[in-house]
Amino acid sequence: MLLTYIARRTLIGVIQLFCLVIAVFFLIRLLPADPVSRLVGLNSSEEAYIQAASQLGLDRPLFEQLGIYLGFYPDISPGLLQGSLGVSWTTSSTVGSEIAIFLPVTLQLITLAFILAFALSVPVGMLGALHPGKAADKGVFVYSLFAGSQPEFWWGLLFVYIFYFQLGVAPAPLGQLSPMTFPPDPVTGFMLIDTLIAWELGKFIEALHHLMMPVITLAFILSGPIIKMVRQNMVRALQSDFVLYANLVGLPRKRVARYALRAAMGPSMTLIGILYGFMLSGAVLIESVFSLGGIGQYAIRSVLAFDYPAIQGVVLIITAISLVVYLLLDLLHATIDPRIAY
Amino acid sequence: MSEFLHDVLMKKPIYVPPKRKTDWLMRIGVTIVTVVCLLAVFGPYIGPYDPTRTTIRIAEPPPGILEIPGLLAEWIGGTVDHPPHWMGTDANGYDIFSRVIAAPRTDLRIALFANLVSLTVGVFFGLVAGYWRNWSTELIVRISDVVQSFPVFILAMVLVALAGRSATNIIIALAFVYTPIYLRLTRAEVLSQTSRGFVEAARAMGNSELSIALRHVLPNSLTPALIQSSVTIGFAILLTAGLSFVGAGVRPPTPEWGLMISTGANQIVLGEWWPSVFPGLAISLTVFGFAVLGNALERRYEKG
Repeated sequence: MLLTYIARRTLIGVIQLFCLVIAVFFLIRLLPADPVSRLVGLNSSEEAYIQAASQLGLDRPLFEQLGIYLGFYPDISPGLLQGSLGVSWTTSSTVGSEIAIFLPVTLQLITLAFILAFALSVPVGMLGALHPGKAADKGVFVYSLFAGSQPEFWWGLLFVYIFYFQLGVAPAPLGQLSPMTFPPDPVTGFMLIDTLIAWELGKFIEALHHLMMPVITLAFILSGPIIKMVRQNMVRALQSDFVLYANLVGLPRKRVARYALRAAMGPSMTLIGILYGFMLSGAVLIESVFSLGGIGQYAIRSVLAFDYPAIQGVVLIITAISLVVYLLLDLLHATIDPRIAY
Repeated sequence: MSEFLHDVLMKKPIYVPPKRKTDWLMRIGVTIVTVVCLLAVFGPYIGPYDPTRTTIRIAEPPPGILEIPGLLAEWIGGTVDHPPHWMGTDANGYDIFSRVIAAPRTDLRIALFANLVSLTVGVFFGLVAGYWRNWSTELIVRISDVVQSFPVFILAMVLVALAGRSATNIIIALAFVYTPIYLRLTRAEVLSQTSRGFVEAARAMGNSELSIALRHVLPNSLTPALIQSSVTIGFAILLTAGLSFVGAGVRPPTPEWGLMISTGANQIVLGEWWPSVFPGLAISLTVFGFAVLGNALERRYEKG
C-alpha cells in the first residue's frame, strides 16, 4: 500500500520534472538574450561569433538541441538520460559537479534555519492557541504577520551592522569560514560535517560561528508563517472530539495540550515542505549577503552570465529536491497522524 | 450537540475571534498603504533633491536626532546653503531621503501592475477552467501547476535577466509568477459556486452558459482573489527589491528600495548604515502594511 503510494508519487514527480525541463528549455531560448555575444564579447569578429555558437551547439535546430540535452544523441555529448546535466558555458566544468559543491551549503543553511525556526515557533504558536483572544495571542499574531512579511536580506545586513560592526560578536559576512582559514577536505560538501570528519574542532566551531547570523536571520523570517500555522492547527486540534474526550476523562491540561500538539503537527508538515522547497531558491538573498556560496548564488551567477545549461540544471535540481521533500513530509505526516493512511 | 457539550464541559477551549470595537491593526495597515500610494503619486516631486542626480556630498551621515529641530529651523529660516540630507547621502552622493520617498513610484507601480495583470489573467483562466471542465481546461490547470512548481525567485530572475532589465519586463515576470495563484483560488471558488442554487435558477431562467459564468458565477467568485491581491502586492514589492538586490532588477539610478539597499550593502561592514537602513525600513513597513490590510480584509469578508 505504502509502496504503491510512493511509486505513484515518484512517477507523477518524474512526469512533472520532465514537463519542467521542457518548459525551462524553451522558455530561456524564447527570451531575447544573446548568450554567444555575452561570452565572446560585443566587439568580436563574425568568425569568432559563429565558431562560439557552433561550440555551444546553438547553431543546431532547436529540437536537436533539446534532444542533445535530454540525451538522445549520446555520441555528441551525454545528456539527462545518461545522468549528465551538461557542461557549464562559463566555467567548462560539468554542471552536476558544480551543483554538488554549491547545493550542500544551501541545504545546511536552510535545514538549520528550519530546525531553529520550528523550535521557536511551536511554543510561541501554542502560547497563542492556548489563550485565544488574549493579549499574548494578539502579540503572537502581530509578530507572525510582521516576521512573515520582511525583506530578509535587509535584516541580514542590519544584523551584520549590529552584531559585527557595533558589538563585534559575529564574524564578517565573508563566507563559511574566515578567508584566512584553510577549508577541510570536501567529503560531503557540508562544512559542519566535513570539519567533524577531519576532526578539526576549531574549524567546526568557526563554521558554526559563521553560520550563526544567516541561520538566525532566516529563522526569524520563517518563524512568521510557521507560528501562524502552528497556532491555527493547534486551535483546530483543541476543538476536536478527542480533545473533548480527553478532557472528559479528566486528563491533566498539560497532557491534553501535548496530545493536541501532536495532532496539530501533522497538517503543519505540508506547509513546512512547501516552505522548504521555496527556501531552496529563496535563501539566495541571504546567501549573497553573507557570501556563503550556495546554490542560489550559483543561480545568480549563471543567470547573469546567460549560462543556459547551468540555469537548467539548477532549476531541475531544486525542483527535484522540493518534490522529494514534499513526499518525505507527507510520509512523516502519516507516521505522526494515525488517522491518515495511504 | 457536540458544540453544546464543548461550551458546557470545557472551560474556554472554543476559539472566539477577538472582537474589537476599533480594528487598530487594520488602521495601521490602511495608513501605511495610503501613505505609500500617495508617495507613489507625489513622491518624486516633494523630495528636496532630484532623486536621480548626485550631489557633491558623498557618504554624509544623517543628522542626529537632537540636531533635527535646529536644522529644521535653519532650513525654514533659509539660513542654510543647501537643504539638509535628512537621511544622509550614499556613496555616490545621492540624497537618500529624496530617493526613499521617490521609490514607491517604481516599486508600487511594478507591484500594482504585476498584480493587476496576474489577477486578470488568473481569474479569467480560473473561471474558464472551473466552469467548463474538459480536457483543454484541465490542460490549463496542469500548465499552471508546472509554472507553480518553478522556483519562484530563480524564475523571476531568469525572465528579467534574459529579457532585459526594464520595469516592464519585471512586471511581466512577476505577473507570470503570480498568475497560477489566482488561477487556483478562482477555480476552487468557481467549483464550489457552480453547484449552488442560484446557478441552477439562472439556468432555469434560460440564461446562456456564458452569461451565467460572467454575470452570476464570476462576481461571486472574486472575493478570495481580491483579498489575495493585498498580500500579493506586498510580496511583489519584496520580490522586486530582491531582484534589484542581486542585480537582476531595475537599472541604477532609478530610485528603487532594493537597489538602494544593495548600494549600501558594501559599506555596512564599514559602519555606514544609513544608505541601506532607511530604504529597508521603508520596505519593511510597506510590506507589513499590505500584509496587515490583506489579513484584515480576510477576517472581515471570509467570516460571513
